[in-house]
Amino acid sequence: MRRDKATIERGGGARRLALRCGLLLVMLGAAPVRGAPPDAVTMDVGDEPGRVSTEEVRIEDGPFARQLVFFRSNEAPGTLVISTADRFLYLVLGNNRALRYGIGVGRDGFQWSGLVKISRKAEWPDWTPPPEMIARQPYLPRFMAGGPGNPMGARAMYLGSTVYRIHGTNQPETIGEAVSSGCFRLANGDVIDLFSRVDVGAKVIIRQAAQL
Amino acid sequence: MALTPKRVTAGLAALVAALIAFAAQAGTLEMVKQRGALVCGVSEGLGGFSDRDAAGAWSGFDVDFCRAVAAAVLGDPQKAQFVPLSTVERFDALRAGKVDVLSRNSTWTFEREAGQGILFAGVDYYDGQAFLVVRHPTITSALELGGVSVCLQDGTTTRANLADFFKANSMTYSEVIVAGPSEAIAKLESGGCDAYTTDQSALYIVRLGMKKPSEATILPDVISKEPLAPAVRADDVAWFDVVKWTLYALVNAEELGVGKSTLDEALQSQRPAVRRLLGVEGDLGQNLGLTKDWALRAVRAVGNYGDMFEANLGARSRYAIPRGLNQLWQDGGILYAPPLQ
Repeated sequence: MRRDKATIERGGGARRLALRCGLLLVMLGAAPVRGAPPDAVTMDVGDEPGRVSTEEVRIEDGPFARQLVFFRSNEAPGTLVISTADRFLYLVLGNNRALRYGIGVGRDGFQWSGLVKISRKAEWPDWTPPPEMIARQPYLPRFMAGGPGNPMGARAMYLGSTVYRIHGTNQPETIGEAVSSGCFRLANGDVIDLFSRVDVGAKVIIRQAAQL
Repeated sequence: MALTPKRVTAGLAALVAALIAFAAQAGTLEMVKQRGALVCGVSEGLGGFSDRDAAGAWSGFDVDFCRAVAAAVLGDPQKAQFVPLSTVERFDALRAGKVDVLSRNSTWTFEREAGQGILFAGVDYYDGQAFLVVRHPTITSALELGGVSVCLQDGTTTRANLADFFKANSMTYSEVIVAGPSEAIAKLESGGCDAYTTDQSALYIVRLGMKKPSEATILPDVISKEPLAPAVRADDVAWFDVVKWTLYALVNAEELGVGKSTLDEALQSQRPAVRRLLGVEGDLGQNLGLTKDWALRAVRAVGNYGDMFEANLGARSRYAIPRGLNQLWQDGGILYAPPLQ
């Protein structure tokens, strides 16, 4: 696990992570937000612009590998169900089955639930960290064109009118962890696979563990 | 009708007989408390369910369930003792009182319960016969298995289930009988068969033994019902309640978001259902003959159902078995516990 940016970013807290999706923090107030448990698994890894994760990286083994699972659902085939507590994204296939992908999810304060639709799809999306983040972390690029070293990864699916996306990553080892600012990240090979199976307009249901 | 002395005497005798019978039946909880230990029957060694390491320490899903009961009853999960039992001797050992509870990946069936002096205390793992497939990456359903060659072990219900399933779905297949899982792996890898069928939980263990596990697909369909359940003696309903409601408490805890990592937060919760579960409000333990923090102690010991599953069989174990049927009813599975109220 890479932690090379940890020293620089320690204490940056959740606001630093807003950058991960290229998001404006102020917009987060609009979405339902819930705090994660205090000892939820989190990682202190920074964005690593420039770090190249090849397009083909897929999770091959273990629980976060893409796999067919039993999944009882009344949702139409093509619907995405995201279970943040378990770090899984389900693509409903009908007939009580789904394709399950391992994901990385939002960390403390950036976990949300709701119902949205895929509003747009993009290949190798650009990344534009907002100005206040540049001020705080001057080492970050002002703009980064989409490509293999981009933290947005190989594909992005935009979630309704929210600031969140389902996207790839150049840090596939963060799959299964709670690190983002509310976006859902997949390994590049897996996000490419999902992208090819999902249409604009598809329903996305985001589920949280029960609120205590 | 007037009460004659004779009738009163007869009535008293009947009452005394009933009381004696009751005392004899209601013994397990008191016995466990007096003994200061809970004796659990487990398997002789089944990865993920009950396994003993070189130092003799037990671990696994069935083991954890016993620890949860020990924590609920005695306040200490370490007070569970484990007795490995073979498939042949397990139910006799329970009936003879050698164990207080059988937590041994045993399928709940009519023949094992009705008239057998045994009660199953609720399903703790929904298993079923399933398929592991190699070299056919496009197959996503058992209904697409027509024409394949299937490895299986003979002398089990597996063979009959397989025949029924293919016949019912108008598909053909060829059988390849194997002696056990290791021969099945060899045949799968050498091309001797395209698929292997046995209980789904076992398929995940088999897949771990393959050279390239990622090239094998375990189909989500199950073609038989193998509900695994802990069992107790039928003559002690009070004890049956303790075991059953400990299981349901673990499932309800997951549904309420109360788990190993959220326990401290949960103790501060204002939600009535959470407060009832943890004994912050009311006293559900009383009806079971336990203290009011019985469920809290169980969750503190092993976590909630999901924690117990993921740690031993699921995402945090080497087996990486998806929750599947064993997911909560609201999250895509069929796991459903009556409410604690």
